[in-house]
Amino acid sequence: MFASLAREARFLAKDRGALFWLILAFFLSCAAVSFGIAEVREQRETIAALIEEDAADRANALETQEDWGGAAYYAFHLTYAPPSDFAFAAMGQRDSSPWKHRVRMLALEGQIHEADTRNADFGLVGRFDFAFLAASVAPLLLILLLYDLRASERTARRHDLLVATAGSPFSMWLPRALVRVTALALLLLIPLWIGAAVEGTSMVISVTASGIMIGALLLWWLIVELVSRIDASASVLLTSLIGLWLALAIVMPAVSKAGIEAANPVPDGGEILLLQRETVNDAWDLPKAATMKPFVAEHPELADHAEIEEGFEWKWYYAFQQVGDQTAAPLVSEYRAARIARDRQAGLAALLSPTSLVERAFERLADTDALSMIGYEDRVRRYHAKLRAFYYPLMFLEQPYDADVLKKLPDYDANG
Amino acid sequence: MSSVRRIAREEWRLWLRSKVVVAAALIVAVLIAVTSILTANRIANEQAQRVEQQVAAEQTFFAQPDRHPHRMVHYGHYAFRPPPPLAVFEPGVDAVTGQSIFLEGHRQNTAMFADTKAAADLGGFAALTPASLYQLFLPLLLIVLGHALFLRERESGTLAVILAQGLPGTKLALGKAAALLAVIAMFMLPLIAVAAYSVTLGERMLAAFSLVGGYFVYLCAWGAIVLAASVLLTQRAVSLGVLIFVWLFAALIVPRFAINASSAAVDAPGKIESDLIMLAEQRKLGDGHNAADPAFMQLQAEVLEQYDVETIEELPINWRGVVAAYSEAELTDLLNSYAEERMRLEASQSRIFGLFGLLSPTIAVSSASRAIAGTDLATHHRFLRESEALRFGFVQALNEKHAAELDYAIDMNRNADEAARLRARVNASAWQVLDEFRFAPDGADERLGRAGGSLGILLAWLLAAGGIVLVAARRVRL
Repeated sequence: MFASLAREARFLAKDRGALFWLILAFFLSCAAVSFGIAEVREQRETIAALIEEDAADRANALETQEDWGGAAYYAFHLTYAPPSDFAFAAMGQRDSSPWKHRVRMLALEGQIHEADTRNADFGLVGRFDFAFLAASVAPLLLILLLYDLRASERTARRHDLLVATAGSPFSMWLPRALVRVTALALLLLIPLWIGAAVEGTSMVISVTASGIMIGALLLWWLIVELVSRIDASASVLLTSLIGLWLALAIVMPAVSKAGIEAANPVPDGGEILLLQRETVNDAWDLPKAATMKPFVAEHPELADHAEIEEGFEWKWYYAFQQVGDQTAAPLVSEYRAARIARDRQAGLAALLSPTSLVERAFERLADTDALSMIGYEDRVRRYHAKLRAFYYPLMFLEQPYDADVLKKLPDYDANG
Repeated sequence: MSSVRRIAREEWRLWLRSKVVVAAALIVAVLIAVTSILTANRIANEQAQRVEQQVAAEQTFFAQPDRHPHRMVHYGHYAFRPPPPLAVFEPGVDAVTGQSIFLEGHRQNTAMFADTKAAADLGGFAALTPASLYQLFLPLLLIVLGHALFLRERESGTLAVILAQGLPGTKLALGKAAALLAVIAMFMLPLIAVAAYSVTLGERMLAAFSLVGGYFVYLCAWGAIVLAASVLLTQRAVSLGVLIFVWLFAALIVPRFAINASSAAVDAPGKIESDLIMLAEQRKLGDGHNAADPAFMQLQAEVLEQYDVETIEELPINWRGVVAAYSEAELTDLLNSYAEERMRLEASQSRIFGLFGLLSPTIAVSSASRAIAGTDLATHHRFLRESEALRFGFVQALNEKHAAELDYAIDMNRNADEAARLRARVNASAWQVLDEFRFAPDGADERLGRAGGSLGILLAWLLAAGGIVLVAARRVRL
């Protein structure tokens, strides 16, 4: 076996066509990994700079405040989801969902859906990251490396002679294909491993990711092997394989996506905002009790301090901000549930498409999938709740304003 | 001429006998038909829905009861962007940007709820549109059909006979090109139908025609590339491999590389980053809610002098409304300067991206197609600018009402008790200041002008590939 592998490796070294695809694979992998690392670094730098500017801006805003309400109104707080140590390989949903916000104690629904816009053209085309390379491009390269193993020998009229002398067809084609698949996998993975070492990715994740990619390549190898048993010319084989690739990599995901989205309608996001804003705006004209009653239902501990005597009081103002969130809450959880349902079904549908499966698996490992982004939004919600828990006792129990107390403002915990 | 036609007809006869070719062509045709119908349906729904939402938002605004005018500034309004007629073919950036904006005083919000945020995630290129089929699939079909177009004669030994009969290589190539051209013309029919449909939806003939023309040039350029490979190379498997590589490069790799490269070349900071810098400047401008803010001292002196009175109480207009209008104007200048800077950076990123069309005709055609359809970044920016003008318009009109129709003393006393609050209102008829907003993309000439560069690049691709075919065919020997 070793002898035949060595022989095939020598053949490969002389096959200029095959070498071209392999070098291309290596070059693309290097590019994908370095683009990824550069992007992740830039995002980390952005976050680091934002943390500083955010603190300075808050200090600046709080300097001139004279009451709790003003402090809560003018002090913004940065929330963010830092890229994981594997995000360089799969940027995933970080390109379409926001991963940084600045929130304050006003109604959260008015703030959390703000998308920190990126160039729209970018979101349209997508990025060249390793997940895309491994999921979509690598199978094409594998097809191009393997499709004419048999057919080229047939064209050269050596096929039958080779098969006859090799003993079993197995010992003939297996080493030849194995050498090519191994070379392709290694050339794709080596840059990934270097990237993982640079980024400090955990061993488990690197090994899992490599396993996923190798598994997908083996699956595509099987497909190529089955198709190329058909006794047809190389170009017919290649055409059929490209057709299969299109079906599995593009058509199947597109059809599943359309089906899933039709089956799981998400509430119109605009409705959430509309409802929340209407509630907040209407509160100004309603009797104060109409706001304080649903508020106290959520915060019974503040019931004794929820009497509004003046025309304008901060605690009433923040109470109707919260009531705005409360009113929109059913729609919000519907929106969230629909996103999760879509994602779960997309996970099932991905079983029909190896490219979707690989890309989703990479996003899962990199914490850049839809669930991770929803997880980040949940963290923002928890932090916002902490802000309310911090200010409410101060406002409602009418504690005298003391700027030093604000030093104990809750900190956002990116991992919490 | 008849020999060219005979060669082309012979080619078609061979294609029709090949199951692979017929199957591939049928599948692509069905995909185009289904996607076109689904997309047209979806866009027609969205169009109707957004126009309805826009009208509904205006009516709700008008229907608000008597209120303090500043309350209406915060009540706000919505701007919706209905898809343009040609979006039935090329939905463009709509799915990524979100199509509605909430407009309120003192803030420029971003467009919200992009479809992609809640989309089912199936990886790379999950959404199929008629445009993406034309950009990605049809070149592949041309490759499958045409990779052996010329070299077939060489492989089967008929090339020698044909040349010996005195038919020049160029004529043979011309015949093959005519065969491929007929395929392209056939596949232009669905696009022509969609374009004609968009004209019935109100699109200008010029734009519809240019879109068809742009894709025709694009497909012809691919046809020429395919033909060139089949003239220059001598084995069909090699020719197919090389062409697949060219496709992989042009359709999948370069566009994504170009995204990475243009975002690395021009650093466009996110909104949070620029907002942070802006907030510091904004604080210096003073808070328009607080008419006693020292930032307004100079304004106060000027206004008092203008009306020749000593104190703000003596002014014939409401000082708080004056401050609100003044600070809104100052703030809007500041917001706009940041917004313009951000849009400028994004536009230059997209320009760099467009230049990669020199490496990939797919980039050139997709840029041209978005620009002509009115679903490109520039149209999104136009929407942002126009909705901002709408915002500033109604906020300032309300501030004027605040200054002119609400007495200062009553306004200052508004929080005293319920009766005082009710006195500090203006009649709801004042809400009629809101302008009607119906977003429409640029005129056809302007969109075409934006697409000019990309269309030029496409034409250059066609000329270059056609030139190579011509030179190679002239030199063809055995």
